[in-house]
Amino acid sequence: MADGSSPVKLSGGAAVAVAPEGTGGGCCSELSAELIRSLTELQELEAVYERLCSEEKVVEEELDALLEQQSPIESKMITLHRMGPNLQLIEGDAKQLAGMITFTCSLAENVSSKVRQLDLAKNRLYQAIQRADDILDLKFCMDGVQTALRNEDYEQAAAHIHRYLSLDKSVIELSRQGKEGSMIDANLKLLQDAEQRLKAIVTEKFDIATKEGDLHQVERFFKIFPLLGLHEEGLSRFSEYLCKQVANKAEENLLLVLGTDMSDRRAAIIFADTLTLLFEGIARIVETHQPIVETYYGPGRLYTLIKHLQLECDRQVEKVVDKFIKQRDYHRQFQLVQNSMMRSSAAEKIEPRELDPVLTEVTLMNARSELYLRFLKKRVSSDFEVGDSMASEEVKQEHQKCLDKLLNHCLLSCTMQELIGYYITMEEYFMRETVNKAVALDTYEKGQLTSSMVDDVFYIVKKCIGRALSSSSIDCLCAMINLSATELESDFREVLCNKLRMGFPATTFQDFQRGVTSAVNIMHSSLQQGKFDTKGIESTDEAKLSFLVTLNNAEVCSENISTLKTTLESDCTKLFSQGIGGEQAQAKFDSCLSDLAAVSNKFRDLLQEGLTELNSTAIKPQVKPWINIFLSVSHNIEEEEFNDYEANDPWVQQFILNLEQQMAEFKAGLSPVIYDSLTSLMTSLIAIELEKVVLKSTFNRLGGLQFDKELRSLVAYLTTVTTWTIRDKFARLSQMATILNLERVTEILDYWGANSGPLTWRLTPAEVRQVLALRIDFRGEDIKRLRL
Amino acid sequence: MSMEDYDFLFKIVLIGNAGVGKTCLVRRFTQGLFPPGQGATIGVDFMIKTVEINGEKVKLQIWDTAGQERFRSITQSYYRSANALILTYDITCEESFRCLPEWLREIEQYASNKVITVLVGNKIDLAERREVSQQRAEEFSEAQDMYYLETSAKESDNVEKLFLDLACRLISEARQNTLVNNVASPLPGEGKSISYLTCCNFN
Repeated sequence: MADGSSPVKLSGGAAVAVAPEGTGGGCCSELSAELIRSLTELQELEAVYERLCSEEKVVEEELDALLEQQSPIESKMITLHRMGPNLQLIEGDAKQLAGMITFTCSLAENVSSKVRQLDLAKNRLYQAIQRADDILDLKFCMDGVQTALRNEDYEQAAAHIHRYLSLDKSVIELSRQGKEGSMIDANLKLLQDAEQRLKAIVTEKFDIATKEGDLHQVERFFKIFPLLGLHEEGLSRFSEYLCKQVANKAEENLLLVLGTDMSDRRAAIIFADTLTLLFEGIARIVETHQPIVETYYGPGRLYTLIKHLQLECDRQVEKVVDKFIKQRDYHRQFQLVQNSMMRSSAAEKIEPRELDPVLTEVTLMNARSELYLRFLKKRVSSDFEVGDSMASEEVKQEHQKCLDKLLNHCLLSCTMQELIGYYITMEEYFMRETVNKAVALDTYEKGQLTSSMVDDVFYIVKKCIGRALSSSSIDCLCAMINLSATELESDFREVLCNKLRMGFPATTFQDFQRGVTSAVNIMHSSLQQGKFDTKGIESTDEAKLSFLVTLNNAEVCSENISTLKTTLESDCTKLFSQGIGGEQAQAKFDSCLSDLAAVSNKFRDLLQEGLTELNSTAIKPQVKPWINIFLSVSHNIEEEEFNDYEANDPWVQQFILNLEQQMAEFKAGLSPVIYDSLTSLMTSLIAIELEKVVLKSTFNRLGGLQFDKELRSLVAYLTTVTTWTIRDKFARLSQMATILNLERVTEILDYWGANSGPLTWRLTPAEVRQVLALRIDFRGEDIKRLRL
Repeated sequence: MSMEDYDFLFKIVLIGNAGVGKTCLVRRFTQGLFPPGQGATIGVDFMIKTVEINGEKVKLQIWDTAGQERFRSITQSYYRSANALILTYDITCEESFRCLPEWLREIEQYASNKVITVLVGNKIDLAERREVSQQRAEEFSEAQDMYYLETSAKESDNVEKLFLDLACRLISEARQNTLVNNVASPLPGEGKSISYLTCCNFN
């Protein structure tokens, strides 16, 4: 049994065939021999037998299949046997190849190591030659310098020194250690002496040349400094020379200024001109000498030159500005302005016109300075860019920072900032005072819609902002935009506001209607004042006109501000495209401008307030009585009266006539847009008031027809006077007319609910009943019975 | 307003003597930087930061002004349109504190009467060099009816708080104004009153 279990498992299905007689291989079948042996029942035995038989069948089939595979396997074996000898041949060839490769490899390694050695040798040779050259050069320099110095050929001498200075210091060290050490030592000493001597000579000769103003010699020695490693010294000495030139020229110019006749054409801007000359002079110097500096000192050195030059520029600017302040009395004028700004009634008040020229001159001075500083910035920046092309980001930023600091905080910048600071206050004063004057001198010409002050005020504001813009300083411009917004919103709007606050006076016609009381009052007050004012009617007309003109003014102001914004925007695009005022400039400007634009809405609000006021104080008191007349016209009429109405209209024609008369006054006095808004307000008013009186009247069938006719005439008329669609405003009234025109109460159902068609009812069911009840010929119970 | 991506827009203008750290406060708040060795500001500078407060986007337009006298006429022109002014002094500089009344006179003269003014004592990182005691500043600000805060732009102390508290106050003020002007239609969510001191405790 022990051997029975293990081998069978290995040999698989094949053992089943051997198994039938029992003991050995029975295990391979699913049924173990013991199991079979333990069986006692026939039925079970039969079942087991059957299963064994079917297993046997399967095994036999498998065996057959295996036997079928025998012949192809055999033929494959034969082929394999034939391949044997060939494989042996291949193995031999491969071994041979491997041997050859190993050999070649070692050969190659051998060769390349030799090449490496050669290369090393070659490099050393080069170095040796270089060093020998250097030593020869050194010798050549030693000899050359002496000769050159003797011949006063300083360029040559400097070239030798330059060569010496650019030699590798170790070379010099090496050559001292050589056999000729002591001789070379002596020569070196000579060379160093020569260097010192040359430095002294060049400095001295340069000084002489500058003193004599010999530009050729100056430039000659200026070029030698960098060869001796004296870049900074060369630049500083050279700029000293240039500064002297700047100073001389500037002094000349300033003397000319002091001698200028005040009647001269350019006398008013003579200081701006002087500054311009100074800046142009420096710019020309930079233009002329930048190439030399760049060629002989290398890029990135312009900053040093400019730094020196700017100091001189600052000195000269100070002188010019001092003279300017003295001659134009700038500080005292500022003081006066400031005093009168603080206390509105100062004793000594400057006539704003007197400030005009000096304000223009200051902005011009600043514009020139900005232009000049921009020029410097551009030049130095691009020079740095070339010089720093290989430098790290930090170095670049450091350089940029230095430049910004130089230009932003130089005396020129500070002085100009100070002048502009005063300028803004004075310009504000100029603007405010001139605006006040324009308001005081306000005149109105017949036929015009607006009065003179609107045009005048905007002319002034535009002028002031324009002048600030011409200073090229964004901060100055923004400040003036802010101040203009304040002036318009607070001061000028207040002027219009006050005019509107005086109100639109009641018409005489209305006084008449109000009865005698008001007339008595007017007389009474006039008598109290000790005079009987016959100009009463005239001044009423004036007051009316003033109100209407102010409305027009408010509208034009609102428009002008929007126009001003657009104009300024386009004016400044050019400025910004030049990169003025740093990265924030555009954002600052936009923000200030949008604040200014917001003032436009304030004027629009004012206009709207005025119109509402006009509608409720002037139109409503007139229109209401006219509409109330409707109540006295019976709409409970017979055929005869209806025909009579046809011939002699009882109400609507007169009403329309009255409206026309009244609106004619406004149409003539208001701009089309405002007039339109006003008529719109008026039509709303009419619709509301008419509805009220209709609901207070009674109608019969013909009366309803009459009302329908009246309403149609009225709507037709109102449609002609306004561009707004008014049908909407009269929708409720038309629907009331429809109801009042019905034959029977139930006819309403033809128009109501599902039958309403395109008609949208604006009346509630309760209102419909209310209107129906106005018809005296409709029975109340019929109306009550309606299902709406 | 809804066209752009914010619910409120406020203008804040920083004023105060030169060198008290106005630019650093603005830089710290808007960019999270403390650039040492800042040159003096020229004219005015302009920064924008949008913050979210209780789910509402608030765009703060911050104007950093030059403290030097010669720029005064430029900076004054910005007072009127400012919603808030941050009056800054340097706690290590007695002089900058002593100038405060002068600044308040300027505010009185040029700013809108609705403007909110905050007094800020900057540079508390330099406590050992303090010249103006906190108590003195608090008394002063109380007398002038101003909110007072001490900050350090360098250490970023109270900088966020300064601007965010201010924004909160501006919002509630703006709401009250719309309420006054527009009684009939209160803004949604206007039922509860908002205390600016408690609504910003999110750091």
